[in-house]
This record gives sequence, C-alpha cells and structure tokens, in this order.
Amino acid sequence: MGQTIFVVCRESIEALLVIGILYAWMDGRADATTGKKWLFSGVLAGFGLAALLTLTLIGVSDLLGGEGRAWFEIGMLAFASALIVQMVMWMRVHGRTLKKELETGLEKSLQGKKSWWGVFFLAMIAVGREGSETVMFLYGSLLQLGTLASYISFFTAVAIGLALAMVLFYALQIGGRFISWKWFFRVTEIMLLFLGSALFLTASEKLLSGPLAATDLPSWLYSNMWDMSSVLSDGSIFGNLLASLFAYRSQPIGWDVAVLGTYWLVVMVILKWQSKDKTIAIAQVTAEQV
Amino acid sequence: MLLCESSVFIILHYKQFFTDNIWIFLMKFTQTVFIALFFALITTKSSAETSQSTTSVETDSNGFSQTFNDPRYTKLKTYLIEMKDGELIPAQLVIPEKTKIRLVVRNIGNKPAEFESNQLRQEKVLFMGAETTLVIIPLDAGSYDYFDDFAPATHGKIIVKAKG
Repeated sequence: MGQTIFVVCRESIEALLVIGILYAWMDGRADATTGKKWLFSGVLAGFGLAALLTLTLIGVSDLLGGEGRAWFEIGMLAFASALIVQMVMWMRVHGRTLKKELETGLEKSLQGKKSWWGVFFLAMIAVGREGSETVMFLYGSLLQLGTLASYISFFTAVAIGLALAMVLFYALQIGGRFISWKWFFRVTEIMLLFLGSALFLTASEKLLSGPLAATDLPSWLYSNMWDMSSVLSDGSIFGNLLASLFAYRSQPIGWDVAVLGTYWLVVMVILKWQSKDKTIAIAQVTAEQV
Repeated sequence: MLLCESSVFIILHYKQFFTDNIWIFLMKFTQTVFIALFFALITTKSSAETSQSTTSVETDSNGFSQTFNDPRYTKLKTYLIEMKDGELIPAQLVIPEKTKIRLVVRNIGNKPAEFESNQLRQEKVLFMGAETTLVIIPLDAGSYDYFDDFAPATHGKIIVKAKG
C-alpha cells in the first residue's frame, strides 16, 4: 500500500507542478476561462497519450521499435523543455503588462491564439510522460489483486497518493493568491526554468546512451567532473526528486555539464534579448497611447 | 505516519476550520504535511541504506563480475540484472573502468518495475516478463547506484575499478 501511495504521489508531482503554475498564473488574466479550457484539454489529451504509451510499454502494440521509441522520448523531452522556456517568455510579457497596467492592445499585438497551443502541449506531455509509467504500474498491480479487501486498499492508496500530490497544486494556488505577484512569478519562473533544464538533460542523456551509444566521443565527456554522492546521492529518494525537478546530479560527467551550460546560456541570451525587445515594444505602445 | 500526523493536525485544529479563514487553515495544513513528508522521506532513506541485500554474482580471479553470455550480444561485455518485486539480482556488479558495457535487464517479478539510475543515466520501465538491453557509457572508477523506481527501498551498486 505504501508503495502505491509513493509511486502515484511521486509520479504526479512533476505534472502537477507545471499544471499548478499555469493554473495559478491564469487566475489573474481576463481570458482565464479560455486558457483553463486549453489547459484542461491538454490534461485530457495527456491521459490519452499516457494510455497509448502504456500499450506500447506492456507490449500490446509495438508502434515504435526500440530505436523509434528512443527518438520519440528524446523528441518529446526536448520539445517539452523548449515549451517551458517559451512559456516563461510568454509569462514575462504578461507579468510586465500587468504591472504597468497597459491596455490589452499591447497584449493582443504580442501574442496570438497560437500561444494557447503551448499550454495545451505542455500539459499533455507533462501528464502523458510520467502518466504512462503510473498507468503501467497501476495496471500491473491491479492484475495481482484477488480479494475485495486488496482492491479497497489499492484504490485507497491511489486516492491518498493523488491527494498528497494535490497538496502541491493547492499550495501553488494559495501562493498565487497570497504572495505578491512579483515574488510568485519570480519563484515559479525559476522553478519552471529548472524543470526545463532537467527535461533537457534527460533528453540529452537518452541521446548519449541511446542513438549515440555506438559512437566514441572524446573521453572528457564521459569522465566525472566531481562527486557529491557522499553529501546527497541522486539515487536517494530526495536526491532523485531533485534530479527530476532541478537537474541535480551527484556525479555529473563532462557531457552533463556541457549540456546544462548550453541550456542556461541559451536561456539567458533569449531572455535578455526578449527583455530588450519588449522594452522597446512597450515604449512604442505607451508612446502611441500618450 | 503521514496520515497519522495529518489527521492529528485536523483533530487539533478543527475549530480553526470554522472560526478562522479557511486559507490560513489550509496553509498550516500544507505546512504540517510537508514537515511530515520530510520526516517520512528521511526515515525511508535510512531504512533503504540498511536493507541492502547481499546477493552478488560470482566474480572471476581479478574480482570482476562474470559476464552474461548471450549469442545476441557479442560486441560488448554484457551483464545481467534481474528485478523481482523490488529485489535486485545481483545487488552488486563489479566492472572494468572506462569500458562500454551492455546491461540486460529482466523483470522476473509479479509486478511492473522501473530500472533507474541517475548516475548511469538510465530509466526504463519494464512490465512483468519484459526484458531490455541498455548500453552503459564508459565509466570512471567509483561506485554507481541503481534501483527499482517503483520500490526504491533497495539499492544495487555497480563498482567500477581499474583493470589491474
């Protein structure tokens, strides 16, 4: 029972973090109803994706061969990480306009309907990816149940696991209401960017030990840069959580450091470029309005 | 334990629920749950360290684990790891440093398993009876963890050492 609670809770945390931040952030918007519809459809599509992926995992269908599956996972992870960065950029524009209380005209000129697709796909991948593992775990455990009591205890465990993960979701909603918008935005922005880096790193590691496994890369890419596993091993429960949310590695190799360095460099450049660009845009619009 | 603490909290503070603001109640409740979760994680971690199983595969004269001979995989040194409802067989492998190896991972238990290791950069879910192969990139000498993500109480270890 404890195992079921743990797996359900742990696997839903990542998805609920993304959905919780997007949901809390939408609350302040005029078009919140439309946005939440897109978010909700994304979650539903995510369950569909999870079910489909589960079928391939348990061997009912073999749509993707081994190689195809690896590429699919890499693509999905990289896409999700790009979407997160794009989402942060989008939120920045919104935060700025809210703060300066500009007319909706600017907002409309800066972002169209297509941004909602970002919300949709991000929610879908967040739910679908971890969801498929949870669905497979639950389906497999369900097959082992016999007595009525075992069924009751199983479904109670699932409910408790989900409820525990939902605490995070509600904490984010409360945070969005009670902490000043500026601070809430700053904290969630950093959390999203770190999650993006974790997804990007996982994608690159799958690339390294999947399609790139046959290639011999320079040896420094394979060597350990430092070893912190005696302080906090990423194999421990807490370390593993940090690994999946913040890209923590206790023994990073050259490849990890290079990939993370590239990610943060690109993100910094994009955000810098965006803030320069947007300051000009805002100045122009305000000038027009005056 | 989590449940106990949460319910004790509700019993102690239920009056607040009616008198104070519901959000303040919810915030305090969340705080309690997180503190409880923290302690729960610490205890699971310490129990995980003590419950390491000692089964290990036979070693050759140089102290390296014996390879798994399978006609399908001849190019790389191949080792077998079996997962059985949270148990890892073997719980320890000794392999040479800076050498690419192949792991064949099999789930022989009655429940799904997820072979995971951040240190080996692997994560693979396995349904009952499923088998997969993983290529491990050349490793420096040292020790690397692997575990069943669906039952993270037991940890396995890959010891990497110089060829000597």
